[in-house]
Amino acid sequence: MMNAPFTFELPPGLCAGEPPEQRGIPRDQIRLLVAHRDSDQVEHSRLNRLDNFLRPGDLLVFNSSRTLPASLQGCAAPAGPCMEARLAEHLPDDAWLALLLCQNGDPAGCGLQAGMKIGFGMELEAVVEGRDDFIPRLWKLRFSKSGTELIDLLYRIGRPIRYEHVSTPWNLDAYQTIFAREPGSAEMPSAARGFSWRLLFDLKRRGIERTCITLHAGLSVYSDEPDDWTHPGSEEEFLVSELAAQEIQRTRAAGGRIVAVGTTVVRALESAVDSAGDLRPGHRYTRLRIDSGHALRVVDSLITGFHEPKASHLDLLTAFLPAEKIQRVYQEAVQARYLWHEFGDLNLIL
Amino acid sequence: MERLQGKYILITGASQGLGRALALDFARQQAAGISMVARNAAKLEETARQVRGISPITEILTIVADLSQAQDIERVAGLTLSAFQGRLDVLVNNASILGPAPMPMLIDYPLKAFREVLETNLIAPYLLIQKILPAMMERGGSIINVTSDAGSTGYPGWGAYGISKFGLEGMSQTWAAELEGTGIRVNWVDPGNMNTPMHRAAEPDEDPSSWADPAEVTEVFIYLASEESRNVSGKRFQAQES
Repeated sequence: MMNAPFTFELPPGLCAGEPPEQRGIPRDQIRLLVAHRDSDQVEHSRLNRLDNFLRPGDLLVFNSSRTLPASLQGCAAPAGPCMEARLAEHLPDDAWLALLLCQNGDPAGCGLQAGMKIGFGMELEAVVEGRDDFIPRLWKLRFSKSGTELIDLLYRIGRPIRYEHVSTPWNLDAYQTIFAREPGSAEMPSAARGFSWRLLFDLKRRGIERTCITLHAGLSVYSDEPDDWTHPGSEEEFLVSELAAQEIQRTRAAGGRIVAVGTTVVRALESAVDSAGDLRPGHRYTRLRIDSGHALRVVDSLITGFHEPKASHLDLLTAFLPAEKIQRVYQEAVQARYLWHEFGDLNLIL
Repeated sequence: MERLQGKYILITGASQGLGRALALDFARQQAAGISMVARNAAKLEETARQVRGISPITEILTIVADLSQAQDIERVAGLTLSAFQGRLDVLVNNASILGPAPMPMLIDYPLKAFREVLETNLIAPYLLIQKILPAMMERGGSIINVTSDAGSTGYPGWGAYGISKFGLEGMSQTWAAELEGTGIRVNWVDPGNMNTPMHRAAEPDEDPSSWADPAEVTEVFIYLASEESRNVSGKRFQAQES
């Protein structure tokens, strides 16, 4: 079993339960804690002052995956248990991996089993084919519809996945970034949520460019502590376009830094690089797990949210900074009352 | 080479009138994909059937949606970008509603109906532009808003519809100004008097025989959707000679 690189106490008051706009803050004015890779300096700022920390010629890379309404309510036929299905991943064989959470009592204790047929309403059904080999808490589902017909039904009957720290069932718009294109993410690629067009235009005027990749983000939480600790490499679909690969290569050749906005971008780019260090465009799947043993080959800097104690994303941060240093950064973030989770503040590791 | 080859297009209000005529002519220009939105499923399917007959190579998506509902707008954007793998080159905001017929004078206008007209004719295009812009950020694109003579001149009795079109023209100017230099162009077109179900409902006492068939006014839309207009933004077009 892998251990989280460190743990810490997160006071409950530091969980952002609502989008910044609902707290009276423009989305691009959330707080930004800046940690430097080459020194112990930590700076406190706001996202709309990001240009103070970047240089002309740097390239921001965003994830353009659109968040799906990936939470469905359904009941096993004919009179079986009712449950929430959280769609995690769309598999190459057109099946889906999903976390099934029983509505009453133990979330896994309502007799979930292969062969079960779940009805979700509007004539959408899914057959449970079995557990996932890599992450046993996930079940493989095969829906009665596919393609845009299925996506249409997800929009009609699904809701965004909502965790306990979120105060209200916000609508899907609250879970989209300004980069959202093709739907496919179970959870919002939230590091980009704070960016506004105004901020992008300001950055561009200062010579800081942007490009996008797509990685359809799966679930970060399986509501099962052992699995959440170990978080074996879930498989995620990603696309690096020819254009994005060229921009990244050009930036690197010119000495600019590649700033990944979100851990999903780090995962996609580090998965797309070949042994010679060249970025290969394409549409693939990845199970890459990034931790302190991973030598970053494309990404120089990272903008990310603050991650929960024991979360697997903390492992990824150790590819940028030693665990002890991240721990100090997180202690400072707690003391300075930064906000955690998808609607919270951001951390720039430069 | 046809003028819209390789282009992925979203048209609202595609079940009849101008929207259907645009879908058919865009297919004749061999658009790569056309996503068509309307409330009436049967009429929308008829448009799709005709498009298929014209251009078997054009990928077709039909979406039954009520654009006065914000959640339907997110669904339209998501479904379109899902079907077209994240690509969109052209958005035609054509859908609009007239409001009560016969059209009441402003002083008599029911507030609920006034709001419904603004939701569909002004707020829906605004939201749809917001939601599809990410797909145009890298490669550029063309946004075409359909306006009306009633969007530049106040006529008695054109109430909320005219006001919504004034708003649409102002919004188009603002979008065009904000998107200058991005490769995303925004223009708006007054198609002129057309013999459409909406126009006949608006002016039931008029003789529609002198009004243009929607198929006669599509040329300017093809121009704006194509690369021929790649440097044109922030302009009002009239599809018919005045």
